[in-house]
Amino acid sequence: MIYFFDGSKDAFLTAFLCAFRDEDAYLTTGSRQLSLGQQSVFVPADRKRARRCAQRLTSFDGRCMHDLDMLLRSGEAERGQTAFCYFRLLADRKRPVRGEFAEDAVRQASECIRRVGLEVHRLKGFVRFMECESGALYAPIAPDHDVSDLLLPHFRARLPNIPFVIHDVRRSKAAVWDGEHTFTAPLARAEIALSADEAGWQTLWRQYYASVNIPSRERLKQMKGYMPVRYWKFMPENPSAVVDAFTAPPASRAGSQDGAPRPHGSAQ
Amino acid sequence: MIAEEKLKILTNSAKYDVSCSSSGSGRRNAGGIGNGMPDGCCHSFTPDGRCVSLLKLLMSNDCVFDCKYCMSRRSCDVPRATATPEEICELTVDFYKRNYIEGLFLSSAVHISPDHTMELLVRTVRLLRTKYRFFGYVHVKGIPKADPLLVTEAAKYADRMSYNLELPSEKSLKLLAPQKSRESLLLPMKQLQRERAVFRAEKRKGSFLPAGQTTQMIVGASPERDGQILRLTQSLYRANGLRRVYYSSYSPVVEDSLLPAVQSPALREHRLYQADWLLRFYGFDVEELVPEDENLPLDVDPKCAWALRNLHLFPVEVNRAPLEMLLRVPGIGGRSAQKIIAARRYTALTFEHLKKMRVVLRRARHFITASGKFYGEKNELAVRGLLTAGEHAERAQQLSLFDTAALSARTGEL
Repeated sequence: MIYFFDGSKDAFLTAFLCAFRDEDAYLTTGSRQLSLGQQSVFVPADRKRARRCAQRLTSFDGRCMHDLDMLLRSGEAERGQTAFCYFRLLADRKRPVRGEFAEDAVRQASECIRRVGLEVHRLKGFVRFMECESGALYAPIAPDHDVSDLLLPHFRARLPNIPFVIHDVRRSKAAVWDGEHTFTAPLARAEIALSADEAGWQTLWRQYYASVNIPSRERLKQMKGYMPVRYWKFMPENPSAVVDAFTAPPASRAGSQDGAPRPHGSAQ
Repeated sequence: MIAEEKLKILTNSAKYDVSCSSSGSGRRNAGGIGNGMPDGCCHSFTPDGRCVSLLKLLMSNDCVFDCKYCMSRRSCDVPRATATPEEICELTVDFYKRNYIEGLFLSSAVHISPDHTMELLVRTVRLLRTKYRFFGYVHVKGIPKADPLLVTEAAKYADRMSYNLELPSEKSLKLLAPQKSRESLLLPMKQLQRERAVFRAEKRKGSFLPAGQTTQMIVGASPERDGQILRLTQSLYRANGLRRVYYSSYSPVVEDSLLPAVQSPALREHRLYQADWLLRFYGFDVEELVPEDENLPLDVDPKCAWALRNLHLFPVEVNRAPLEMLLRVPGIGGRSAQKIIAARRYTALTFEHLKKMRVVLRRARHFITASGKFYGEKNELAVRGLLTAGEHAERAQQLSLFDTAALSARTGEL
């Protein structure tokens, strides 16, 4: 049987209870082609049952709800099933299973969690803020996994006096620090008026990036391994960046970019 | 805002400095901008494959020294520029705010005199910490022959300081960097080490170089062997408490009859770093790795080379070997070793398990057994052949009987 759930923690735990004894259970959040004779059910979230389930699972492994949170943030289509297999093993064994890498379920879950964590780590470096007229900072991102709010504590600790918005344009949501609180809110499109100096700093940054490179030691493969091309879109130093294309007047960009290196094979 | 041209000149002269790490400091934000991230953070990567973590900049490239290998040396005809402390602070804060950088790496050519330069650096970092209330990472390069009091003052504000040893021996230093001496580099290093120890022992408030000291050496500009370089490295780690030693392949940016005209191979630098990691994280001693008057082998990595010399210790059983021994197996690194230790508590691991756990077996299979099974070669020559084959695959070319003949036929000489 296929169990559809809405992707929330409560719905997963409810579906987990329903599917626990089902040998051929498949948990998913997305649309899925049913094969002939296959049955499906949509499981709505049931807070009471979910809480009971969470308590029981936590009694087996105190850190397992954190694992679940990370797994459900993943943007991979298989995330529901990955989490289901991991938690079914946990419920079977009735003790923490996180070290049992010989089990497929544990390995898949831990790799999925690692990928989500890796993206958080990468974005701590790759987020690029732009200064608005009000002095607040705005950064668009398009991550593979739903991690925008995981970035909040990091940036809040280092920019306590500056309000900022990290805008996940793929999921149309924003993680916000308003100077007093952090929160997330739906946000489809942002209208940003940039500060007078913003274009100037971006130009300086491109100049710096171009100057610090040593052209005789080109290693593009290594560069792209560390900084995958999918992140380049919102990073002004990269030739395929579109950062200012949708916020700043296009004229400020044309002249400033000449010094920037243009790696071969990058999307222009 | 600093002028674009000035930024270009000051960055261009700083880019050959290898150190760019921002790790080791957990400095807290006390009501300003920025904090330290103990694991470090890379903000971008340039097409040469290096990371951009810090804003790497010279205060000035207008030098009174005349070190042969350096493009900022006095006798070299390059455009000169000097930045003001305010320009640097402003640039740092505005770049940091936009999350372009993790902090500042401030170095300088010896401008007017060592004391004058060091004073300028101190003034900049003090301004950055006090007026601009910047708590991000700051790495300050020490200027040799500057007043010890200025050095101490800089250390109060910096997260990390470094004196570059530049060349692995006193003799080469005398030849290529006549105004520097081993003494002028090691003394301040020891001074800082001493002061840091006192600071820690007294548990004083504030911080004193939380990320310690590092240094850098140019490899390939002088005749020292890897064995000698690594012995120096080990003593720097053990006796001087350095956090990192960086190696920089010599590249001929300026011409001089005392310097080689060719670029030192990148592979040699790579092997030195591999050996450096073995010293720091894998429990190796330099005596095990390479004799003093020899270079590291280029065809296999230093751990493989050690294992091939010590085949009598292998194969080891992954289900029983202690962590120290697992770390000595070629191809098994820190993370794989930890995974194996965690997983074998629950079940006896087989090769199938290892493969699924993504332990790289290409090299390791010759040195381990898993649940008693062995899938490698026992013969040393065969193992060496297989291990070097992978490394050479791209460069290797089948020799042909007809190559020379074909060539001479084309060129017409017989």
